[in-house]
Amino acid sequence: MDTAVEQATRPFIEVTEIWRPEGDTLVQAGGNYGGLDAFEAISGHTSFKKGEGLPGKAWAEGRPVVLKAFDGSYFKRTEAAKEAGLTAAVAIPVFAGEELKAVLVVLCSDDDIRTGAIELWSEKDGYLMLDDGYYGAAKHFEWVSQHTHFPKGQGLPGGVWASQTPILMRDLGSGYRFIRSESAGKAGLTTGLGLPIARPDGENSVLTLLSARGTPIAHRFEIWDARAAKVGSANSAVMIDGICDREGPLWSEDNPRRISAWQGPIGQVLGSGLPVAQKSAPGLPAGYSDVVGLPIYRGSAIAHIVAWYS
Amino acid sequence: MMTTDWIDVGAFDAIPARGARMVRTPQGCIAVFRTATDEVFALDNACPHKKGPLADGIVHGNKVTCPLHNWVISLETGLAQGADEGAVETYPARVENGRILIEAAFLKRQAAE
Amino acid sequence: MQKLVVIGAGMASGRMLEHMFEADPQAYEVTLFNAEPRGNYNRIMLSPVLSGEKSYEEIVTHDDAWYADNAVTCRFGERITGIDRDRKVVISEKGETPYDKLVIGTGSAPFIIPCPGHDLPGVVAFRDLEDVDAMKTAAGSDGRAVVIGGGLLGLEAAAALRLQGMEVTVLHLMGHLMERQLDEAAGYLLKKDLEGRGITVLTGASTKAIMGEGRVEKVVLEDGTVIPADIVVMAVGIRPSVALGQAAGLEMGRAIKVDAQMVTSDPDVLAVGECVEFDGNLFGLVAPLYDQARVAAKTLLGEDDVFRMRELSTKLKVTGCDLFSAGDFADGEGREDIVFRDPGRGIYKRLVIEDDVVLGAVFYGDTADSNWYFGLIKDKTDISEMRDTLIFGPAYQGGAQVDPMAAVAALPPDAEICGCNGVCKSTITEAIGAGATDLGSLRATTKASASCGTCTGLVEQLLAVTLGEDFRSKEAGICGCTDLTHEEVRRLIKARELKSQTAVWQELGWKTVDGCHVCRPAINFYLLADWPLEYQDDLQSRFINERKHANIQKDGTFSVMPRMWGGITNPAELRAIADAADKYNVPTVKVTGGQRIDLLGVKSEDLPHIWADLNAAGMVSGHAYSKGLRTVKTCVGTDHCRFGTQDSTGLGIKLEKALWGSWTPHKVKLAVSGCPRNCAEATCKDVGVICVDSGYQIGVAGAAGMDVKETERLADVPTEQEAIDLTIAFVQLYRENAKYLDRPYKWVAKVGLDWVKERVVHDLDNRAALIERFAISQSVYQKDPWAEHAATKTDAYTPLSDFRLEAAE
Repeated sequence: MDTAVEQATRPFIEVTEIWRPEGDTLVQAGGNYGGLDAFEAISGHTSFKKGEGLPGKAWAEGRPVVLKAFDGSYFKRTEAAKEAGLTAAVAIPVFAGEELKAVLVVLCSDDDIRTGAIELWSEKDGYLMLDDGYYGAAKHFEWVSQHTHFPKGQGLPGGVWASQTPILMRDLGSGYRFIRSESAGKAGLTTGLGLPIARPDGENSVLTLLSARGTPIAHRFEIWDARAAKVGSANSAVMIDGICDREGPLWSEDNPRRISAWQGPIGQVLGSGLPVAQKSAPGLPAGYSDVVGLPIYRGSAIAHIVAWYS
Repeated sequence: MMTTDWIDVGAFDAIPARGARMVRTPQGCIAVFRTATDEVFALDNACPHKKGPLADGIVHGNKVTCPLHNWVISLETGLAQGADEGAVETYPARVENGRILIEAAFLKRQAAE
Repeated sequence: MQKLVVIGAGMASGRMLEHMFEADPQAYEVTLFNAEPRGNYNRIMLSPVLSGEKSYEEIVTHDDAWYADNAVTCRFGERITGIDRDRKVVISEKGETPYDKLVIGTGSAPFIIPCPGHDLPGVVAFRDLEDVDAMKTAAGSDGRAVVIGGGLLGLEAAAALRLQGMEVTVLHLMGHLMERQLDEAAGYLLKKDLEGRGITVLTGASTKAIMGEGRVEKVVLEDGTVIPADIVVMAVGIRPSVALGQAAGLEMGRAIKVDAQMVTSDPDVLAVGECVEFDGNLFGLVAPLYDQARVAAKTLLGEDDVFRMRELSTKLKVTGCDLFSAGDFADGEGREDIVFRDPGRGIYKRLVIEDDVVLGAVFYGDTADSNWYFGLIKDKTDISEMRDTLIFGPAYQGGAQVDPMAAVAALPPDAEICGCNGVCKSTITEAIGAGATDLGSLRATTKASASCGTCTGLVEQLLAVTLGEDFRSKEAGICGCTDLTHEEVRRLIKARELKSQTAVWQELGWKTVDGCHVCRPAINFYLLADWPLEYQDDLQSRFINERKHANIQKDGTFSVMPRMWGGITNPAELRAIADAADKYNVPTVKVTGGQRIDLLGVKSEDLPHIWADLNAAGMVSGHAYSKGLRTVKTCVGTDHCRFGTQDSTGLGIKLEKALWGSWTPHKVKLAVSGCPRNCAEATCKDVGVICVDSGYQIGVAGAAGMDVKETERLADVPTEQEAIDLTIAFVQLYRENAKYLDRPYKWVAKVGLDWVKERVVHDLDNRAALIERFAISQSVYQKDPWAEHAATKTDAYTPLSDFRLEAAE
């Protein structure tokens, strides 16, 4: 399980940042800039009105937005991003009902090596179709995905859509018959995390993060169930699935891990209702320094929390 | 003390769920009920009100409604429910190997009184 | 060191070894045989491996290192062929292995239905990793799977195969899914959930054969349905693998018998897991197997422990599907239910209580407190102190009332609220959002409830839900089972496409398990009227006269009345009636007001026979007992009467032939008079036709019962066909919209004659649609119940048994 953990490749996601609404403006509220200090400094002095820039667009449209080229786009920090080598970004708005809690933005850097996928699937005529996605060097897989659609219950996106539950799929490219498995296998994609996206317009969307072995999105993924109807109280969560390159499987049928609000980064997401993205965070599992925790809302309450670590 | 004798009155499958069938005895009829959850009950067939045939009533939960005047009778206790007062005799009943068994006392009930 | 041989590396024997090595690593030198070419893995996690949500590596319980650390000699892939208990050796392909103690853990084998084709390539079980691999190999993005068996294993396989991209159909023999673990309501919610994942679920489905050339191609059901299939998964059950134990001469029941120390009839041979029988019980769930493992380890180490049967609980491993059941939840003498439903969130909770102790629990959608309830069941906790709030769980501190608005709040935005004007929920809520705060303003802006008014209650509830004020409808609910009125329930059955009674009870938040004598007949009618093809008429939800197709009299006997089309009969029919009256000792023969002959005082068990006799003479049921078409009374018309203007008798017969057999909210009586002198008394009927020189005057909504009321003129039409069309369209409109037990005159008074005219007379498309829907319904329901019951249901009319003679002897 601990092979291929300590590779020197740069991560698939270089920057993760969080923007919070203050009145009618989004302001930066933390993030992990991976040592890209100049970009971090500029971001700290930037703010977005609703509809402005990438985070503002995600707010206004009420759904995730994928941006694969900054030049000539609505992206506001193009110069700083270019200097930092960042070439693409995905903004994920977090809505509790109709209220925007925050916008999580991840930024990536294109090269010929790094593969992975961040995809947005949305319902159209009873099927989930690819809205847009960022695939790094996985060009063939991108093409396959653009020509794939998922009915309810089928594949990772269809399964998330039908169950309204985050799902963590293993071995996307090997023996297990992930719908796009052949191409996924060639692209080296191994682990897939699918999330139901709460949209204020009530439409169905699913976001997937597909991680490749060589250039992983993360080395550890976790899914926590925070529904009162499942765990008994609004202030605790139970880990229902998780996989870690160091520890192996994290789930347990008999003794699932449980946390309370404000306990560790997951507890912070639970307590505050906001995503977290921390670098060198204290209290992480052994061997990890960075964490992203994202709340998944159903109505006005947190239903699940997903987290990834590196 | 007499040991309990059970008498086979028929096949469990002969009664539909939420249904009933009648068993004749020299002293009158018994109604045998099967609930939605496949429990069986045996009661005197005559409603305490105007002797309506309870086996012809609608079975809901563990109760039956008399077809004549809508008295609701508990299958468990034989007592009329709600504001109505009255009771019918009940007899222990069970299912074994697909057959319905009723405690033998039901055949001799009037002799015992 | 003593030699311990273990046959079978399964979950029970594996756990046993863990316990043993933990307590005394030096106690035995262990040799472990396994027919599968691998060690112990967590078999109950196979379904997530199949779905791709777990990897095989993750569910390995004991890897090579574990066996090495504990010095276990592993002989995997080596099948044991015999046990020689006298010489204390086990025999395998590679020779003999001696033991001091032997543990048999051979587990179970899947049960394969021995239907034709069960041995075709492509038929797989769901028991071990080989089966999973076989399914994964067969699965393709365009593959079709049929899963036989709607229990735990079958449903987990179905969901997993669906996630893998297959088209999946589940066939289940019983009436609802997982009938051993769930009640009907929870089974309904589970079916709905699975269908929401694109899985087809067929209950009451009996497999007749699996067919294909060289490999599986299709599954054929007893009812003739054919389902294409690339693989067939058999998941109908397991049976213990006991051949080794049996051949070795161990004492057997349905499996290898063990005592409470897990020792078989041979003191040096133990058995654990699914291959054992203890106290008449077999085992399939994992919890008792772990108990057995603990006891067996103690026994091997010479320590005392006792295996006891415990209450079991069930969960289903399908992501996003939350259900729980435990204990005994059948109804029973002295037992009481506590039911909680929240249709908006798809929640159903039921507790079964006896003598202040919780016996069983079924939860769907909300399993948060399942462990707490399971504890109450296992510990037999006295719950009398918390009985009133028990259903709300351990955290309940007062508050949290069931929301009577939940059903309306749960409606999707595009649900049609007002059928007359085609107004959907979102239109109304938007109008409320735009400032409409009362019924009047909503009617003005959206037209909702502005026509027939039957959706008024729903619109008021939407106001209440949206504005959060108390707009509670003034009209009372149907009965104690629900706060919703008849009209609201009818509307919701249509809007939400509820097609079974279970669906109505759950989605509309019924407060009882299965309704009562007030609501059940009404719901049964609404469902069969709205969904004639999909809904199955439920005789157990009908009053006795409709169930037995005869009117019950006050002494418990019945009346029998054959149809006389338009009041016309003949000598042969009259003779048959007279013969029947003689043969069955009918005490009273009466000519009725509806122009036919009633035989009164027939005993229940004679009914099928008298019907068969009357059928033989060409007569059918007159439905004199039903909420349906009763009679069409006629005068003699132009054939004989000098005043007659049209063939009133002929029209009467045509109307009766068209309408008979249809179920209606209440009884329906017609009459056709040949001239305005009105000898057939058509002006006080539900529908009355008066023939005039220029055609036909059609009146509706008359009454001559407790209320007396003259008909109102629906329309005048020139042709007989139009008279028939208007009558049918009117009856169908009544069937689709009226409250159960409202006669047409009451219903017309509520909706207004103009509303009826608009739909039946003026809107020709709508008239045609009504007639078409009536025809669809008649295709199902226009059949003679006498013939059907006399042929197939005679048992229901006879006593279950008769002890009069035996006791007399």
